[in-house]
Amino acid sequence: MTDRMNALLRTAVVVGSVVLMQGTSRAQDAADPTGALFEKQCYSCHNIGSGKKKGPDLKGILQRRDRAWLHKFIASPKSMKASGDKIAVGLFREFAPEEMPDQMLTPLQIEDFLNFIDKVTKSGKVFVPQSGQLSRPVRPGDIEAGYAYFTGKKKLAAGGPACISCHSVQGVTPLGGGTLGLDLTQANARYTNIELASILKAPAFPTMSRLFANNPLTDEEVVQVFAYLQSTKTRTPDPGRSAFAFVLIGMAGTVACLGLMNFRWRARLRTGVRKDFVAQAVERHRKNLRSADHSHRAGRDA
Amino acid sequence: MNVRLQMAMVFHLDKCIGCHTCSIACKNVWTDRRGAEYMWWNNVETKPGTGYPTAWEDQDRYRGGWVQGSDGKLRLRGFSKGGTLESIFHQPYLPTIDDYYEPFTYRYQDLFDTPEGADQPTARPVSMITGKPIDIQAGPNWDDDLGGSPVYAENDPNLTHVSEEDKRLLFELERMTFFYVPRICNHCLNPSCVAACPSGAIYKRGEDGVVLINQEACRGWRFCVTACPYKKSYYNWSTGKSEKCILCFPRIETGQAPACFHSCVGRIRYFGGLLYDADKLPAAASVPEGELVDAHRGIILNPNDPAVVAGARKNGLGPDVIEACRRSPVYQYVIDWKLALPLHAEFRTIPMLFYVPPLMPVMATVENGAYDTTETGLFGVVDNMRLPITYLARLFSAGNEGHVRYALKKQIAVRAHRRMVTVGDLDRDAVTSMMQEVGADAAELDAIYRLTSLPTEKERYVIPPSHREEAEQMLKTDVLRAKGETGFGFLERPVRGT
Repeated sequence: MTDRMNALLRTAVVVGSVVLMQGTSRAQDAADPTGALFEKQCYSCHNIGSGKKKGPDLKGILQRRDRAWLHKFIASPKSMKASGDKIAVGLFREFAPEEMPDQMLTPLQIEDFLNFIDKVTKSGKVFVPQSGQLSRPVRPGDIEAGYAYFTGKKKLAAGGPACISCHSVQGVTPLGGGTLGLDLTQANARYTNIELASILKAPAFPTMSRLFANNPLTDEEVVQVFAYLQSTKTRTPDPGRSAFAFVLIGMAGTVACLGLMNFRWRARLRTGVRKDFVAQAVERHRKNLRSADHSHRAGRDA
Repeated sequence: MNVRLQMAMVFHLDKCIGCHTCSIACKNVWTDRRGAEYMWWNNVETKPGTGYPTAWEDQDRYRGGWVQGSDGKLRLRGFSKGGTLESIFHQPYLPTIDDYYEPFTYRYQDLFDTPEGADQPTARPVSMITGKPIDIQAGPNWDDDLGGSPVYAENDPNLTHVSEEDKRLLFELERMTFFYVPRICNHCLNPSCVAACPSGAIYKRGEDGVVLINQEACRGWRFCVTACPYKKSYYNWSTGKSEKCILCFPRIETGQAPACFHSCVGRIRYFGGLLYDADKLPAAASVPEGELVDAHRGIILNPNDPAVVAGARKNGLGPDVIEACRRSPVYQYVIDWKLALPLHAEFRTIPMLFYVPPLMPVMATVENGAYDTTETGLFGVVDNMRLPITYLARLFSAGNEGHVRYALKKQIAVRAHRRMVTVGDLDRDAVTSMMQEVGADAAELDAIYRLTSLPTEKERYVIPPSHREEAEQMLKTDVLRAKGETGFGFLERPVRGT
């Protein structure tokens, strides 16, 4: 049964990746240097033309918002929210709990981004990132290899931290994975193949971007981790996993260890040699008294 | 040849009256402290008996000393290295405080402070550990003079080799007998306590072979307590360190005998230097049990041998030290006369305290209300002693009855010879044949008589000069200042956890 399911799953992965390869043939937009920067810095949260992700779709943004306002907002979304700007507050509320971090961009770079978005919008196309393109189709063995990278059994070539340090996936290990980041079960359901591959290649999330800035995953690693995450798409995330379980397990382990030590070193309960000798002598004396008493009675009866 | 000096001892058990003066002298000098109340670095035991701590000789319980593996190599009976690690927080073979005894005193002040009442005030016994009133169950010499024999004497571990019939006779009323064994640290040549210490805190002093515990290095793991087969290393629960007999080294460095020797009422103790060959040690500790005493004697060197003297000089021993070794009473008792034997040589630690086995009262039968002690044969008494030879051999010669028998016969020969000389009622031929049997001439027997009965203090304690000045020079301290300060300085208390 499980073998058949595995086979089905692998077929699905292969078919999916073929579709993905076809999809990437349209990715000419990213050839532009601003496109490449957009991909690295914005794409993890924003699409142009293919719907909302963690943040709003940026298609037609210049038509919706004032250019000066956009400049101010992109430079520092947090201070905009703090200043009580109605639109900013509304956006933050809509996409809570995500908060767009301050981007440290120069006004010139922001201008470039706005022009780039406008160009894509006007061309009527959808932005497809270059990093969404896998270097090769997914093969069945990749799930296994991706699992090894995820759990850290195999080190990432550039020295980045293993996914499990922060993330968990339903059933990844008996005790689950990290709880600092999101549970990545069904990550592939939340993100399309292209989006997921792009995140793996160049994560723009505040924490991850810093962690992987100098040690990104290699193309091969991206394919394999992608394959693993894709394979977990059908699992249901464990809802109630909490730190409390860890405490319980720790307490149970402590009790078990104490019990084991208690048993292993039970000789410590010895009362000592002398007390044994006294007890033996007392017992012997009692026995003698009993037998003397018995023979005395026997003699009297006779 | 690797010649070393060892301060060695002989206790003449035929002279011991069991007065415990030695124990008290030691207690007053060294262990009258908090945490050391239960320790008796010197104690006197009644034999047969279980001693202090209870049944200390039973190594199935306490796992002290060395055993010979199938490969002939010695290993500690208690723990291997792995076993040491596994047991570092709990050792199963330590004596409990009850096996020593819970030290106690009495609340004497109650005798004065109690308000007037119908009853006499009493001084209640209180534990010196908890300070609370206790019901005294035992003491360090609870079985003194065969007290409580059904509990103690009958459980003497040395009786395992004695036949049931002999055992029955031994404890028959009117035949009962006992003798005393005073014990201190044996300052062994192959000390298992040193080998067992995980902290490396125990060492054998190079200059005189005294075994000491460095109170600064000791971490109180107590592996020495288990490893010492004589149970002469004690844990001080107050300082968190282990302690043992230091052979009163501050006294011997200044030419005085240790306190227990000095105070001995019966003058049973002899103290002197022995030269030994350290290279022969491993082989001597690894021979079969019956040959242990011979091997033991085999490593002790003759201080009159020119080769030995040359070796001693090469190892830095001065001519005055060698001269003291020549006059050593221990050398005479152990090597020249072969009278003194090591206690429990089968523990293979090569103890440097030797015992002259006691001549026990002969087996007597009561006939018409009079004791009949008729002797048969010249040495008939030896095998008719109330204490079986097998028992004494277990104690003093690792089961080799020949050594004990020889030592006893020689003592009888001394008595017969002296009786012939002073009283003159013994047949000269009979005495001569006795002398021939023990291979001793009149001069030797006279010498034994003299050193046993009439020795001066200077003859009993021949202490080689310790040459502290050389040690101070080696340590690069100011020699003259050290001389001026001798006996004075700052007291550094051992502190738990350092």
